[in-house]
Amino acid sequence: MKTTKKEQENKIKSRSKKADDKQKLILEILKTHGAKIYDDLENGKFPKFSIPSRSVSNIVYDKQLRQYILGNNSALRSSRNSAQLRSFTQLMWLAFFANRLTTERKSSTLRDIYYSSQAFAVEFEDQSESDNIIVDLEAVTSRPREDFHIFPEERSSIFGDLNIEYTIPGYEGKTMNLANHPDGYSIGPSLTTAELVSTSAEIVIAIEKGGLFTRFVEEQVDKKFKSIIINTGGQAPRSTRTLLKRLHDEMKLPVICLTDGDVYGEHIAMVIKSGSANAAHLRDLTVPDAKWVGVWATDIEKYKLPTIPMTESDIKRCYDLQKDPRYQDGIWKKELDVFLKLKRKAELEAFSKYGLTNITDKYLPQKLELAKSL
Amino acid sequence: MSSIKEKFNQISPSEFFYSNRDLAGFSNPTRSLYTAVREFVENALDACDQKGILPDVYLTIKAVDPDKPDPKPYILTVKDNGPGIDAEHIPLAFGTVLYGSKFGLKQARGMFGLGATMAILYGQITTNKPVTVKSSSDAKIQNQFEILLDIQKNKPVIVKHTTKEVSKTGLTVSICLEGDYSKAGNKIRDYVYETSLITPYASITFDDPKDQKFSHPRFVKEIPPPPTIIRPHPHGIDVERIRRMIVESQFEIPTIDDAMIEKIRKDLGLSVKNFSFTSIMDKAKKKWKTLPRQVRVVISLMSFLKMDFEKLNKIRIEDIDMPNKKLSYWDFGDSQSKSVDMDPESEYYKQLTNTVQGEPLTTFLTKRFQRIGPTTAVKFAEFAKFKPEKRMGTLTNQELVNLSDALQKFEDFMAPDSSCLAPLGAEPLEKGIKKFFNPDFVAVVQRPASAYSGFPFIIEMGIAYGGDIKSGGPHVYRYANRIPLLYDEGSDVVLKVVNDTDWGRYKIKGEPPFIIVSHICSTRIPYKTAGKENVADRQEIERELRLALQFLSRKLSSFMSKRGQAEMAKKRANLYAKYIPMIAEFCTELSGKKKEPNYKKMLETEIASENKKAKEEENQIENN
Repeated sequence: MKTTKKEQENKIKSRSKKADDKQKLILEILKTHGAKIYDDLENGKFPKFSIPSRSVSNIVYDKQLRQYILGNNSALRSSRNSAQLRSFTQLMWLAFFANRLTTERKSSTLRDIYYSSQAFAVEFEDQSESDNIIVDLEAVTSRPREDFHIFPEERSSIFGDLNIEYTIPGYEGKTMNLANHPDGYSIGPSLTTAELVSTSAEIVIAIEKGGLFTRFVEEQVDKKFKSIIINTGGQAPRSTRTLLKRLHDEMKLPVICLTDGDVYGEHIAMVIKSGSANAAHLRDLTVPDAKWVGVWATDIEKYKLPTIPMTESDIKRCYDLQKDPRYQDGIWKKELDVFLKLKRKAELEAFSKYGLTNITDKYLPQKLELAKSL
Repeated sequence: MSSIKEKFNQISPSEFFYSNRDLAGFSNPTRSLYTAVREFVENALDACDQKGILPDVYLTIKAVDPDKPDPKPYILTVKDNGPGIDAEHIPLAFGTVLYGSKFGLKQARGMFGLGATMAILYGQITTNKPVTVKSSSDAKIQNQFEILLDIQKNKPVIVKHTTKEVSKTGLTVSICLEGDYSKAGNKIRDYVYETSLITPYASITFDDPKDQKFSHPRFVKEIPPPPTIIRPHPHGIDVERIRRMIVESQFEIPTIDDAMIEKIRKDLGLSVKNFSFTSIMDKAKKKWKTLPRQVRVVISLMSFLKMDFEKLNKIRIEDIDMPNKKLSYWDFGDSQSKSVDMDPESEYYKQLTNTVQGEPLTTFLTKRFQRIGPTTAVKFAEFAKFKPEKRMGTLTNQELVNLSDALQKFEDFMAPDSSCLAPLGAEPLEKGIKKFFNPDFVAVVQRPASAYSGFPFIIEMGIAYGGDIKSGGPHVYRYANRIPLLYDEGSDVVLKVVNDTDWGRYKIKGEPPFIIVSHICSTRIPYKTAGKENVADRQEIERELRLALQFLSRKLSSFMSKRGQAEMAKKRANLYAKYIPMIAEFCTELSGKKKEPNYKKMLETEIASENKKAKEEENQIENN
């Protein structure tokens, strides 16, 4: 590294300033909402606010954004309405708690939020109720929960030549190369908020399964194909999708997805590409240029993969997705149709039939080549 | 009455009992103990009801040997403060099958007192012990009998008879029988409990084999008006009943002997000297209205014979030929048969016609049945294709059947008279429910009298919610003629009607704490079995039950919605008090303020207004 110490310091400064700015923005948003409630009470009124409706009828597909978004319908939440009073209070508490988390730069998880509520005598029936209130906060502020330092429990992981620099308190300026530990790095709050500094990789491979992720590290796929490997652990968590987006946008890396050869795998790739209806109230979670390279339904015959029959629910899922506007053309439609025709599916591990390294030696190179033309 | 007895005398009562004991509720030691309790308690209550006495009933069940395992012999004693039974009737009443005093047509718990005899018979068969009866009908002397039944002859055998002095009337019956209290106990306690609900004017005490006392004092001081005995309704009649009624309405030609002549002279108030034919007839004409029927018949005969008592003493009536208007007799003096003509225009002729051929159809209908006037009687005769003046005594068997069919089918008879019914009354029923369940809400209704197949009935029903009532309702308390029905609820018409109800429509959801009390009063309850446990679904009864239940459900529904509103207002007030301060706390820190917003006044105003709303709704409930 040729950079002088001075330059280094400046860089760190600017990066932490960036983090500071974001923190300020989030705190400002929370404060604005809080002040409105405060003023209502001060004026002897029952406070109320409006929240975009997340009902199915208000979720529409935006072709330009290439993702689902919320329509214009919104609902009024009033503390005067006894049926809404409880959830109103819950949301106020969550905003209050998020404010503390953000101010103190502390992280929390969905489960942690649920348990923390008890300390404030705020009742949640179960975690799904508190999860739902968290989505409410997202909808009201149009900010993902990660911005409020709230993270999901599940962790996916990353491996490859990527230099990052932490911004979380106590680690500011500290850097890390993500190829240093062969088990990969878990994508948690610190990695999500870290600055992406540099990489030699030319592509990001998002893979559905942990087992294959380990195999790929062992087979040095990162070096052989100049790639960053990400284990999504099934459906990619928000923080992983955010990271994928940043790798694509900030590091200019193409993203490809490798999933099981079934309808759920196809949809894992689709969510990375264009998001889910559940997160229609949020932006910046999608990588519209991401490509699904396999395992396709057509690969099953092409590579003579061992298969198992689709279940009733697999088939139902196929029919459901046929109605989704994103599955109306291209390989999305084509592969879905073939799945329905075959009524069989194949796992990523199916390639093991032809040798443990068959997938990295034969299949992956062909798919990487193919991806360029997709 | 006597003809029923004759019918059953053809087989031995023990045979009859054995082949029918399942039907009568004596199928096993558990059921038998329960049934025996019922029969004696119901007899005691019926006896008091009939005399308008506020009943005090003491039920005692004690094991002969408490250490023996069930089933084992128990001594069952029921003591009442009723009118008692005259000593001369006791052996027959308790020592023969089918002897009773409840044969009239009116509502009573039991019909013929048959059940009690069944219990006695069951006790004797299982333990070989006599029944003990203590009775005083004059509040002076108590007669105590020990009686066994001679099963072959259907006759009582008096084992012991003693008397002692007492100061109150009443009857105590005690039997020893094989029973299973460990299994029957629950039902018996339920029975006593539920009986006291529907008999609030009775005081019932139960001393059980485990020395537990269950005391149900009376909480209503007035006995509901007793039912009156009435004539039958034509829809509820059959051929056999008509035949019996005709027999009752006809009189044999009386034998004219010294005793009869003496009776006539007494009734006419004639002195010994004054008995010429004309003076007899004159006197009879004046006193006609007060004369008994037998006397009228003899006077009528005398009017055609033109004889005084002395002459009358010397003849024997041979034939009264109404169609040919000839009256023939044997003259002992001349030793030959003679005859006289009868004037059909004479009043006396009509009298004889009635006696010999029975009443005309129209008279029979208007006099022997309830609520039939002359016009209806004539209309019916036309409908049934009988001459209105057709004499009942001249009906052939086929004509009897035709008449019976026509009586069933004719639709212009008035609805049955319900004065023979003894419903409990809405007020005592409501009192009972309030005392037993201390509910938040109670409503009762007594439907107007209705009828099925000529039998009048009245539905009384109550509904109660909340208070001491357990959740998981509706719990249904079924009664028929003031008897609780505890067994076989599955196939009962009341349960059917309750189960058909969509309670959600009446704002009653989940496992509500509510009960329904249903009381069917009728001269004949259409039980499905002789065990008297479930009522068959007669269309008319089902309809009345439905109407009663709908009426009450609507009342409950309006209570529920008022209560719902009151609860909501209260709940809102509580919610505001709980949550608004929290919101204030959170938004203060969130907006970076130091001091909490000034919301207290707003909150107080709002809570006060919600509490006021709740009060208003509650007051409305209470006023209703």
